[in-house]
Amino acid sequence: MSDITVNAAGARPKKKSEFVRIMKELSRNKLAVIGVVLIILEALIAIFAPLIAPYDPLEMNLAETFMKPCAKHLFGTDDVGRDLLSRIIYGARYSLSTGVLAMIFGVVCGLLVGSIAGYAGGQVDNIIMRILDVIQALPGMLLLIVLASMLGGGFLNTVIAMGVGAIAGNARLIRAQIMKEKSAEYIEACDSINCSKFRIVMKHLLPNTISPIIVSASMSIGNYVVLGSSMSFIGLGVQPPTPEWGALLSDARSYIASYPHLVMFPGMAIAITVLAFNLLGDGLRDAMDPKLKH
Amino acid sequence: MGRYILKRILWMIPIILGVTVLVFTMMTICPGDPATIILGSLATEESLAAKRVELGLDQPYLTRLVKYLSDVYLHFNLGSSWISKISIVSELKVRLPRTLVLSLFTTALSFGLGIPFGISAAKNQGKWQDSLCMVIAMIGSSMPNFWLAMMLVLLFAVKLKWLPALGIGAGLAGLKYYILPAFSNFATGMASAARQTRSSMLDVIRSDYITTARAKGVPEKSVINKHALKNALIPIVTLMGTAFGNMLGGALIIETIFSIPGMGTYVIGAVGNRDYPVVQAGTIFLAIVFSIFMLLVDIVYAMIDPRIKALYTAGSKKKVKKEAKA
Repeated sequence: MSDITVNAAGARPKKKSEFVRIMKELSRNKLAVIGVVLIILEALIAIFAPLIAPYDPLEMNLAETFMKPCAKHLFGTDDVGRDLLSRIIYGARYSLSTGVLAMIFGVVCGLLVGSIAGYAGGQVDNIIMRILDVIQALPGMLLLIVLASMLGGGFLNTVIAMGVGAIAGNARLIRAQIMKEKSAEYIEACDSINCSKFRIVMKHLLPNTISPIIVSASMSIGNYVVLGSSMSFIGLGVQPPTPEWGALLSDARSYIASYPHLVMFPGMAIAITVLAFNLLGDGLRDAMDPKLKH
Repeated sequence: MGRYILKRILWMIPIILGVTVLVFTMMTICPGDPATIILGSLATEESLAAKRVELGLDQPYLTRLVKYLSDVYLHFNLGSSWISKISIVSELKVRLPRTLVLSLFTTALSFGLGIPFGISAAKNQGKWQDSLCMVIAMIGSSMPNFWLAMMLVLLFAVKLKWLPALGIGAGLAGLKYYILPAFSNFATGMASAARQTRSSMLDVIRSDYITTARAKGVPEKSVINKHALKNALIPIVTLMGTAFGNMLGGALIIETIFSIPGMGTYVIGAVGNRDYPVVQAGTIFLAIVFSIFMLLVDIVYAMIDPRIKALYTAGSKKKVKKEAKA
C-alpha cells in the first residue's frame, strides 16, 4: 500500500508554478528589485508618517512662511508656513493608496464585466462590448474629468472615478482570456457534471486566466498615481488642505517663479513613486515574456 | 477596402450617439444645480425656478434627452453656452484646431524621438546605447506631464526667457507658444514609442529574412531601415493611434497650465460651471476626432501591411466581415 503511494507521488514530479518562476525571474532583475525596494520604503513612510514627519502637516505658522530649504525645514515651508517635508510624507498616504485602490477597483469590476461577457457570449456579450466601445470612444482623461465632477471631489470618489475609467480596458482583456479558455476540455468536463455557471467562472476560469490581468494591472499603478495627482491638480480630486502631492503642486503653482522649491519636491515625490512602479511593471513584463529580456 | 472604410464610418454613428447619451446622462446625475451656479447663491427661489424653466431643466430626463438628440442630430444645432451665451459651434471652430495642433505636435515629437531611440536600442541590444535609451524612456514616462510643464516654464520662460510661459499667438510666430506645451506632454508618448519600437525591432531582427539579407551582404544600414523597420512599423502605427488619444486627453491638463484656450480649458471650465451644453458638445467633438483618428490608423495599417491589404482587395465579402469584427 505504502509502495503505491510513494510511486504515485514519485511519478508526478511537482510542477513548478508559473508564479514562482516569475518571482524568481523578477528577483534576478536588478532594476525591478530597486523598484520593489522603493515601493516598500514609500509604503513604510506612508504607514509611519506620524512618527517620521517632523511637523504636523496641517499646522500653520505665519511667522515662517515661504522658507527656503534649511536645517529646520529640510524642504522649506509653504505660503502659510506648513512644513513641506511633513506634507510630502503625509501625502504618500493619499497618493500611494489612490493608485493601488483605483487599480484594485478597476480590476475587480473589469473581471466581473469581462467574465460575464466572455462566458455568456452571444447577445449579452454583444451588448456589453458595444457599451464598452462607446466608453472607449472618449479620451480617457475626459471621461475621468466628467466622472470626477459627477461624483464630486474627495479621496474615495477619485478612486472610484479612476477605477470606473479603467473598467473597459480590463474587461476587454479578461473577456479575451476567458473566450480562449472557455473551450478547454476541463471546462467541458465541469459542464458535463452539472457544475453551476458561477462556479465554473469563479473556480475554474478565473484562476486560469487572471495572470495577464495581474501583470497589466501592476504596470498601471504608476499611471494611476499620476492620474490621481492630475485630478487633484486641476481641483477635481483630493481637496486641499489634504496634503496630496497633486494638490501640493496645485497650491504651489502661483509661487513657481519666486519659490520653485515648493514645486520641485512634490513633483519629485510623484516621479520617484511612478518610476518605482514602472520599474516593477517592466520587470514583471520581462519575467512573463523572456523573449524581450537582454 | 472602400467597403471596409464605409462600414467603419457607418459604425461610428451608433458609437457617437452612444457617447452623446452617456455624457448627457452623466451630466444629469452630476450634483450641483446649474441655475444656482448661474445666478449665484443669493438668487431668490422664484428667479431660480424661472431660470430652470428657461434652461429646460424642469422637464423630465427623457424629454430633455430626446430634445437634445433631435437638436443636435436632426437640426445640427449644438446650442450655446449657458454662462457666456456664445454659440458653441463658433467656439469649437476656434478652439478645436488649437487642441489638434498641440496634440499633433506632441505626437510628432514623441514618435520622432521615440522611434530612433527604439531602433538604436534594438540595434545595440544589451550595450550601453540600449540601457541609455531605455533609462531615458523610463524616466520620461515617470514624470507627470503637469509637473514637467511647470519645470519647463521655470527654466525656459522664467529663468532663460526664451519662450513664452503661457497663452497663444497669431500666425506662424504663434507656433512658438506650442513648444513648451508639446514638450511637457511628449514624454509618456516617447517612452511607449521607444519601447514598442525596440521590442518589435527585436522580434523582426531575429527573423530569417534579416539573416538572409545580411548574408547577401546588404549593408547594415539598409537592413535596418529598409528590411527590418518596414515590418516593425506595424505595431508602432497602432500605438500611434492610442497615443494620439492619450495626447488629446493629456492636452486637457496641459492646456489649463499654459492657458491655451483650446478644448481642454473649455470643457474643464464648463464641467466646473455645470454648463451642460458645452460639456456635451465638447465631449462629442473630441470623441468624433478620436474615432476618426482610430479609423485613419486602421486604414494606414492596411496600407503598410500588404497581407491585410490583399485581404480587402481580393478577399471575399466574408473575409472583410471577419476583419471588421476583429
